[in-house]
Amino acid sequence: MDDKREQQGIVLTEAQKRSRRHRSIAIALALGVLVVLFFAVTIVKGPAVLNRPM
Amino acid sequence: MSVVDHNAIELAAPRISEADVGDYIALLKPRVMSLVIFTALVGLAIAPGHFHPVLAITSLLCISVGAGASGALNMALEGDIDALMSRTANRPIPRGRITRAEAMAFGTTLSFFSVMTLGILVNWYAGALLAFTIFFYVVIYTMGLKRRTAQNIVIGGAAGSLPPVVAWVAATGSISVEPLLLFLIIFFWTPPHFWALALFRSDDYARAGVPMLPVVAGPDATRLQILLYTIVLVAIAASPWPLGYFDAIYGVTSLILGAGMLVLAVNVYVSRERSQSLRATRKLFAFSILYLFALFATLLLEVVVRAVAPSIGLWTGLWTGLGAG
Repeated sequence: MDDKREQQGIVLTEAQKRSRRHRSIAIALALGVLVVLFFAVTIVKGPAVLNRPM
Repeated sequence: MSVVDHNAIELAAPRISEADVGDYIALLKPRVMSLVIFTALVGLAIAPGHFHPVLAITSLLCISVGAGASGALNMALEGDIDALMSRTANRPIPRGRITRAEAMAFGTTLSFFSVMTLGILVNWYAGALLAFTIFFYVVIYTMGLKRRTAQNIVIGGAAGSLPPVVAWVAATGSISVEPLLLFLIIFFWTPPHFWALALFRSDDYARAGVPMLPVVAGPDATRLQILLYTIVLVAIAASPWPLGYFDAIYGVTSLILGAGMLVLAVNVYVSRERSQSLRATRKLFAFSILYLFALFATLLLEVVVRAVAPSIGLWTGLWTGLGAG
């Protein structure tokens, strides 16, 4: 029995699984926003996107 | 028999986080963030020239995330004192939802991304100023001043005053008098606002060992300081009108709102009996939020009026012309 539990490793509770899933979705959304932002600014600035002050 | 006894080292079970997205959002101090977004929006709106809406949204997003990151780092560094104060005991770190290390990692990551994104997509002057703002709030205010001096929120107020300046720099790539006036208004607004809060929360601050002015110098000295700072605030807030930077709508509104602030500050100064004093400070605290919001909203209104005025003039001219014809 102990060996079996050891093989399973750490078993997450339902609450832990749920909060991890929510955090993962939030990270995915944040990365998505970042991608859209960089894409939109590239379109808006065109070739000038590489021309920045300083 | 094995050479190594596997039971000799008992490792503590790893901590599995149950923190939800809401806990991380709470780390960003959403209410402070909303004021930062609004003041930054005004900084963008009054900036001269055309600024593409996509770049404006990008700037606002970076400034607000940078402000939220500062809040998270602040909470990571103040977890111990937050647990001692009733106002902050419900924050994610004192409640054990998020560890200080997690908050630190979260705040550092957001700081890095907000500064780099603003620098890469908008301009590096704005990115550098945002980085300085975060540095000032976290290192100078939170780590340096907060637990050492009663002038903590006076000097530290500079961090909260910078967002409209960052926004202006993002839009123009330079600095001018107008954003500095906005900076000064928020800078002189901060002490009356926070000292009003500190007056009715002084027991909290004393328990946590934070040397806020009412704890160190007493309530009477704080009341006097609130009144003096309010007088300076009202004068500075009205000054852009005679100086010709903002129009009459702003000037008149700032005088009316300033009169309200002054009346409430005088009320705080004269109300010494405990229950009266509590009522007076709560009123000033609540009104100070409305004051800053209304003042900046008026600036926004002026920009809208200025943008719409030519078309109104065109319609009036057309109407008059038709009438004359």
